[in-house]
Amino acid sequence: LGEIRDGLARKRIAVCVGSGGVGKTTLAAAIALQRALEGGRVLVCTIDPARRLANALGLESLGNVEAHVPDHKFREAGLAPRGQLFAMMLDVKRTWDDLVARHAPDRARQERIYKNRIYQQLSSALAGSQEYMAMEKLYELATERDYDLIVLDTPPTTHALDFLEAPDRILDFLGSDTARVLLAPALSAGKLGLKLFHLGSGYVAKTLSRFTGAEVLTDLADFMAGFQGMYEGFKNRASAVRALLAQPEVGFVVVSSASPRSVDEALYFHERLHAESMPIAGVVANRVTLDLWPGGGSLPGPDELAAALAARGASLAGDLGARLARVLAEHEVLARADAREVELLFRSAPGPHAAIPRLESDVHDLAGLAKLAACL
Amino acid sequence: VPGLALLDHRLLIITGKGGVGKSTISAALGLLGARRGKRVLVCEVNAQERVAPLLGAPASGSSAREVVPGLFTVAVTPRDAMREYGIMVLRFKSIYDAVFENRLVRFFLRAIPSLAELVVLGKILHEVRVEEHGRPRWDLVVLDAPATGHAVQLLRVPAALLDTVPPGPLRRDAQWMRDLLVDPLTTALSIVTLPEEMPVNEAIDLDSAVRDVLGIPRGALVVNAMPEELFSKEERARLGELERDPPPLGPAARAAWLQALRAEQAARSLTRARAALDLPTILVPLLARERWDRAAVEDVAAALAGSV
Repeated sequence: LGEIRDGLARKRIAVCVGSGGVGKTTLAAAIALQRALEGGRVLVCTIDPARRLANALGLESLGNVEAHVPDHKFREAGLAPRGQLFAMMLDVKRTWDDLVARHAPDRARQERIYKNRIYQQLSSALAGSQEYMAMEKLYELATERDYDLIVLDTPPTTHALDFLEAPDRILDFLGSDTARVLLAPALSAGKLGLKLFHLGSGYVAKTLSRFTGAEVLTDLADFMAGFQGMYEGFKNRASAVRALLAQPEVGFVVVSSASPRSVDEALYFHERLHAESMPIAGVVANRVTLDLWPGGGSLPGPDELAAALAARGASLAGDLGARLARVLAEHEVLARADAREVELLFRSAPGPHAAIPRLESDVHDLAGLAKLAACL
Repeated sequence: VPGLALLDHRLLIITGKGGVGKSTISAALGLLGARRGKRVLVCEVNAQERVAPLLGAPASGSSAREVVPGLFTVAVTPRDAMREYGIMVLRFKSIYDAVFENRLVRFFLRAIPSLAELVVLGKILHEVRVEEHGRPRWDLVVLDAPATGHAVQLLRVPAALLDTVPPGPLRRDAQWMRDLLVDPLTTALSIVTLPEEMPVNEAIDLDSAVRDVLGIPRGALVVNAMPEELFSKEERARLGELERDPPPLGPAARAAWLQALRAEQAARSLTRARAALDLPTILVPLLARERWDRAAVEDVAAALAGSV
């Protein structure tokens, strides 16, 4: 991980991306911990719906505000940090509400939006909403707080780079000309919803309402009206987030396991980041099974191992030789499969690399995280 | 439901943390169902199709294709599902095309929260209940659902819409979908996990969401990649001392020591999962495979066969 550490040395923001189950959250925490140990004021922010990060940091739970990882946690792990470590978990609904409050011209408008059913769905259940708010929160933290490094863990997405695309998708809708054209009569009429049947050509609106029910369209018109005048503010902010992510002070860390599936996805992430001119700080292959029989010579059989055990004064008789032969052979099958995938990953995605061996125990505390960080 | 085996349900939902082997388990369950003479459909909602390729067949795309005798797979995408749903509601394809294939209107549909999830789920649940020649089209539908958070988002849509949407076509659809999802004779949701600390934590959280938020009948906890206990405590201690020996003994002892440690940790995680979840557990052994192909899925199916 020396390479990755150097790759992140001058960064103020590190964004960990990769498919689910590759250890992204834990790695994000390890990167943050390392900088905190070296003397930085560091925040790690997760948007994972499961509370994995809190878990690894030994905190009961994480919320939408930054929590200071207490000194005694470090002492218990035998660590003496020169800096400070903070952690938080994104609350999507709260972040939406804050964003609306920030842009609403007055309290009444804010309340009207909060009460709208479309907004309630958008802010809690809409796909992509979480990713959008992660970016929003990152921007807020980066511009309004004073951290030396912010490490962002991204959702375990199956839709590569949703967090880059989601803001645009949602804003496309909020600002779409279609919506304006179709809803214009309703919007200008002031009395929203009542004029719904004058929407657009009428034909389109009627057909749509057969599909969704007319009231959904009324809600939508009301929601769009509520957002009138706020769209520009949202759009500007999303552009600023986009611009921030392309800054050299940002580093994306692409995380993969050695499974073919996660390597495929990591390569796709890498390619997309590259195409979007996003700065890549490194590629990590996590939980790699190490080769214990390098050179690839033929593996020892049960008899050979039994003889070697006997030569060591083995009270260890029975079929131990056979079990050893079997376990070593199976280990090597996994090691070969992993080596092939890691080689493919590193060859196809140039830049700083780190291969982290499968650790002997699950990481679930600061001591485990520090061990992981040492591998970086 | 007592006496009802997992494969006796009409809809099996498979979810769990990312990377735990959901698609492999879904494929293996599909194989078992087909082998028992059922007509099986495996539905995928992932960006990339996995089940058909795992079974050595080309990707199926958006229309069901038979990849193994009796076993069909289909990839359900929001766009295709929206189209099918739209045509079903509006009756006429020409109206759908005129209105919905309009770029502008597509914005609109995206703006209706949860509509994408609703049509994807609607398409899948439609397959569960649709009949042909007086009998169900499929004896078994396996849904290879997304990972934890996204699965909850997808599966809670009918209930969420029932809470918020006024009477109309959307609500009607949400209602029958909800009824089907909570029927214990039809549906069972199983969680796949690895015997490791974090995946087990997530499985426990997910299970409480299934009970408290989704209210979907629970099937089993499938513990995937469970290492075998091969070495006694005394042997382990001795192996630790032999690790630094020259080859061949040193590397073999190291491999064995690591295996034993992993097996011990796995056993601990399994105990914890069993204590926290009142679910039947099904163990799938850790298989040392250089490639995940049809043969590997067959081995997983063989391991599952006695418990489903």
